[in-house]
Amino acid sequence: MNALLEGAVRAVPLLVPVAQTFGMACAGMLVALVAGIPLAVAVATRAPGYRFIATALGALRAIPDLTLAILAVVVIGLGPAAGIAALAVFYTAMIGKVFGELLLAAPSAPVDALKATGAGRVSIAAFGLIPLTSRDLLSFGAYAFDCAVRASVIVGAVGAGGLGTELVGAINALDYRRAALLILILVVMVAVVDAFGSLIRRYPRATLALIPIGLLTLWVDRPQFFAFGHALTTFAKMLPPQLNGAELSALPLLLLQTAAIAVFGTALGASIGFFTALIAARTIVPFAVVAVTRRLLDTARAIPEVVWGLILVVSVGIGPIAGILALGFHSAGVLGKLYAESFENVVKEPVASIAATGASTVSTIAYAIVPLAFGPLAIHTLFRLEWNVRAAAVVGMIGAGGIGQALFNAQQLFFYKTMVAYVLITWAIVLAFDILTERLRGRELMT
Amino acid sequence: MAASLKRGVVLKAMGATLVLGSGALPAVAAASALRVGMIPDAGATQVSTDEKAPLRDYLSAKMGQPIELVIPTNYNATVEGLGNGSLDFAYLGGLTYLKAREAYGVIPLVQRTSDKQFHSLFITQTGSTINKLADLKGKRFAFGDISSTSGHLMPDYALRNAGIDPDTDLTARFTGNHPATAKAVESGTVDAGALDESVFKAVTDGGQIDKTKVRVFYTTPPFVDYVWVARKDVAPASREGLANAFLALRAGSDDKVLAILRGTSFVRADDAEYATLRSIAKKLKLL
Repeated sequence: MNALLEGAVRAVPLLVPVAQTFGMACAGMLVALVAGIPLAVAVATRAPGYRFIATALGALRAIPDLTLAILAVVVIGLGPAAGIAALAVFYTAMIGKVFGELLLAAPSAPVDALKATGAGRVSIAAFGLIPLTSRDLLSFGAYAFDCAVRASVIVGAVGAGGLGTELVGAINALDYRRAALLILILVVMVAVVDAFGSLIRRYPRATLALIPIGLLTLWVDRPQFFAFGHALTTFAKMLPPQLNGAELSALPLLLLQTAAIAVFGTALGASIGFFTALIAARTIVPFAVVAVTRRLLDTARAIPEVVWGLILVVSVGIGPIAGILALGFHSAGVLGKLYAESFENVVKEPVASIAATGASTVSTIAYAIVPLAFGPLAIHTLFRLEWNVRAAAVVGMIGAGGIGQALFNAQQLFFYKTMVAYVLITWAIVLAFDILTERLRGRELMT
Repeated sequence: MAASLKRGVVLKAMGATLVLGSGALPAVAAASALRVGMIPDAGATQVSTDEKAPLRDYLSAKMGQPIELVIPTNYNATVEGLGNGSLDFAYLGGLTYLKAREAYGVIPLVQRTSDKQFHSLFITQTGSTINKLADLKGKRFAFGDISSTSGHLMPDYALRNAGIDPDTDLTARFTGNHPATAKAVESGTVDAGALDESVFKAVTDGGQIDKTKVRVFYTTPPFVDYVWVARKDVAPASREGLANAFLALRAGSDDKVLAILRGTSFVRADDAEYATLRSIAKKLKLL
């Protein structure tokens, strides 16, 4: 009881960072939606220069959040505004790219009909593409919002405040009780955002609630000043990108480490996620079990990779293993949930007919449920692999090795030309994995 | 019903956010407030900023101006803040100072008396066979942040002087901060590590690190470390104001403020005293 009370007392001052984190995520998403949707429409309608836009969006996505935050500080100074700017840029790129792809996947017949009327790009988007894909757009938008809440952990590093600053501070100060409390709060926040996400899917108009919160945060946290001239000269000094001889010869090993962290992290996440999903699917086990396993998965998912990394380096030491475990545990949470939903969504008849032969639960799972869910499982896993390539670069900052750590070290030592070189290399790896997973996905969909 | 209940919860959460958000987010600084940045040597949480309130109030009273304390968790952010003018003053480590001086011409003002004769400690487990630097060959080793003077630059230099090349003779890692280095040594995930003497004292005295599990086996020769600096465009009168505020701190009457600064007295700092550190940093290609 005392411990509970003490916990509650310690939690009250935390309402401030919780509100900050939530406000920042809303503000970042608001800007990202306003800026990202037109970019997505431009890409999807093949507007002039769409290739350039798509390339630029891809490049922006290769810049780790923390690096974006430092760049934002150069332009608008220290404080929450820099954090919001970093979130806004990152999610504009994400919304622009993914919404663009979703819009492109719209059924072509109605869109062609609209085009035939001589409708302009805006009309095609407003009356064709967006309504046709609204369900997917909303789902992804809700997911991105969920990510934005977690991303605040990183941007807190520039004095942006919020839960992230508190959490990183608590872990660095070895205050594990406080860290545990903060992680618990983060888990609850992600659950609330999750609930809001499913609300959005049912009542899209709930999205409008983001506008006042976002605008209020944008106003309260508005930049205190701008230093565009200074920013231009500072950015110019970051060019051209360069690597010296020693850095070049270390490059192959770094690339290998990054790829290994991404691949093994995904494999670990997929394995844990697979077995947990079997006891998290309502069609396989009783609801009482599902209620527990789903919460476990939610917890694993609510803790961002970087925070997993910070926790793990204490116990397993610094290095690629910590990175693999960090990506693995977070991915297990994400994939476990998606796998469980896929298991629940399989066609019921074949499962029932196998079960009718008197097959045990294990046989039914092995011969009916798993084979039937294989397609969606593969797609989710490939998407996670793609995501983890980027995340492998991000966990580099906690000492997991690879390109990410080299990038972070160069940044910390103010060797900005080297930092830019590593950003470009990260971009190249992300692109390479994008192409690879796209091929694999294409093959998966065909078979 | 479930949906409306959920909506109620969500809306309530939002209401709370609005109320808190408007009252609690950092207030818009008054035009005349001086912005003071600190590297996160003791964490960068709301609590650690609140704990520093006596320091803020002291400076504010001495200078007759409101002071806003900003503690980013990242060294670059502090330096870039000085560069573009979003910070007026800052507390920097030795190497970070050299970087900020080179990039933005910041002006050193004051430092703790102990900063003129600072040391890094090399620590290992109590029962380990490591007793001198040369014993570290082939071992797993932890540095702190890559841009830390006492957590990386000076330990790296000491190792090289002892004939150990950190790049080839050690499996060396950066933990990111001093307490993490101590933890890595205590838990045995590395064989040894190097860190800031004042942080080591704080974590062993505070009980976060078990005194009986780690021991110091080497102390570096003294070097110049942390310093308070001004952005180069800050008016000389304002620079003097801040310097004098620190120089006036006295043990006995200002203990609260001195405890926050982990010092006993302050002295003037100048760029010339960093000549040795600068040449070492250049030699190690960290500058």
